[in-house]
Amino acid sequence: MRDPLRLGTGTFQSRLLLGTGKFSSPAAMLKAVRASGAQLVTVALRRFNREQASDDLFGPLSSIAGLTLVPNTSGALNAREAIRAAQLGRELSGSPYTKLEIHPNPHHLMPDPIETFEAARVLVAEGFAVLPYIMADPVLAKRLEDLGCAAVMPLAAGIGTGKGLTTRDLLGLIVRNSRVPVIVDAGLRSPSEAAAAMELGCDAVLVNSAVAAAEDPASMAGAFKLAVRAGRSARLAGIMPVSECAVATSPLTSFLSACNPAQP
Amino acid sequence: MSKGIPEQIDPGPWLELARAATERDVLRALAAESPTVSDLAVLLSPAADSAMESMAQRALHLTRRHFGRTISLYIPLYLSDYCSGGCVYCGFAADRRIPRSRLDRGHAIGEMDSIKAMGFDEILLLTGERTKQAGFPFVLENVRLAAERFNLVAIETFPMTADEYRALSDAGCVGMSLYQETFDPVIYRQAHRWGPKQDYAGRIDAPRRALEGGMRQVGLGVLLGLADPVFDALALFRHIEHLRKSFWRSGFSVSFPRIRPQAGGYAPSHPVDERLLARIIWAFRICLPDAHLVLSTRESPAFRDGMAGVGISKMSAASRTTVGGYAESEACRNGQFAVNDDRGTAAFCEMLKVRGLEPVFKNWDAVYRSTA
Repeated sequence: MRDPLRLGTGTFQSRLLLGTGKFSSPAAMLKAVRASGAQLVTVALRRFNREQASDDLFGPLSSIAGLTLVPNTSGALNAREAIRAAQLGRELSGSPYTKLEIHPNPHHLMPDPIETFEAARVLVAEGFAVLPYIMADPVLAKRLEDLGCAAVMPLAAGIGTGKGLTTRDLLGLIVRNSRVPVIVDAGLRSPSEAAAAMELGCDAVLVNSAVAAAEDPASMAGAFKLAVRAGRSARLAGIMPVSECAVATSPLTSFLSACNPAQP
Repeated sequence: MSKGIPEQIDPGPWLELARAATERDVLRALAAESPTVSDLAVLLSPAADSAMESMAQRALHLTRRHFGRTISLYIPLYLSDYCSGGCVYCGFAADRRIPRSRLDRGHAIGEMDSIKAMGFDEILLLTGERTKQAGFPFVLENVRLAAERFNLVAIETFPMTADEYRALSDAGCVGMSLYQETFDPVIYRQAHRWGPKQDYAGRIDAPRRALEGGMRQVGLGVLLGLADPVFDALALFRHIEHLRKSFWRSGFSVSFPRIRPQAGGYAPSHPVDERLLARIIWAFRICLPDAHLVLSTRESPAFRDGMAGVGISKMSAASRTTVGGYAESEACRNGQFAVNDDRGTAAFCEMLKVRGLEPVFKNWDAVYRSTA
């Protein structure tokens, strides 16, 4: 496998992760998952419905071969609730991964760094591969890495906002210092933004609304797949540095070459 | 006009804007990045009527952005129609000569099991104003029964104390809905002829007590038709904005009940037609993009179908407004109000699917309960 994404004990060829909420039907969601080529998909525990198959997102996803499910704790208000949700998610899905989401304000859905840190501490000790959703905070990212999280998932912008890479500079700081994968989670709207995140050095990208809210979700999932690949290839190829002005001759220093070398 | 209404809710300073806004103001409000109460006033003004299509488009995109292509479903269960209240507009008011009943334990279990078999996972338990027959212990017992069967249990009952709300929350209740009916203190006094519901300020304060008592979400609303809808809509918006600052972890939803034909024959003094109702809902969606906006079966199938996903993100379906009514198949009689959309669950969900919307029955998990 060339250039795999290593996450916990798993390796994955795809660097695009997909969220599974907000689709018009389970069939539309599955079509988008297939088109995305994603090998990791996240499902909210609250959308596991063991009593009614037609309302359940977990069942249909578990039927796709080669897909690793990442249950998420969306809905939890604090560490205690998130820990319980992660435990139940592992019990139901058998997945070692948990996407730790604690966003206590149900309207803007910004992550709570204090509760997230506390829950991560407990879940790492319990053997989970913890993928915490966080603000693009370079210090918190390192603190979570030190705890033993399998990756960090800083946001590009608020969940569902589609505002793009609003945290670009902070993401750059996180990428530069991280020893665990950095997965941009939330806020992306278009494939070009996903490519830009990968060019910046992020290891993977997670999208949900950008695909689910598109006019043709499956086609958009395919577009994100290509964009993530392009961005990753560009990063590996070495992007030329930015320059403020054209670099032509060297009018201010050319006289130096005419000078006589210093005599010993 | 505004005398008696708490200052932090009073819409007084925005009423002139809501009356005299121009089409230019409307365009500006529609383009606002973070709409405020001023923008809401503009979108509630007569001038906004010419921008209905633009408002609907904006509402569609905001609803889709925040809730995806989904509609969350819930179902009401009336536990009792005993009532001590004297609401002039209500079919259950204490002076209506109707036979009264309440669900005993066995019936309640039968009703809840029938609802569960219909596929619902969010149940809203309703009563009238506090009575001997249907007081706090009765509600508490039914919350316990419901919490054994449903992930999400909410109540729409009489206002309670913070301690009572705490006890319900500990028993598994997650949400509380309570409509102010009207924020206009004069009309409020006229419409509520006797009993504890005459306590205007106490009712305004109830959502705060519920949230302090541990409820995770509150549903607010006004009864459209009772008073000036623009006044009430602006006050409601300000009330939510005010509560949100204190209860930043809590969910807020808004319902838009209109007065329906009921026993007692009350004719609304400020009737709201469907066009204005749609505009109020879209104005709320534009100014409150991330809150659930709820539409019940009070409205007609055609209106509900058109609003689903266009502003509205949460709906009831297959509802009965009689006490119980799900366990047997008889037609509804003597309900609190006439249900206008009597389609069954399957037909309603089929309509949503045709419109590219996924009906979502389970959208929360009991694992998040405070005592789980």
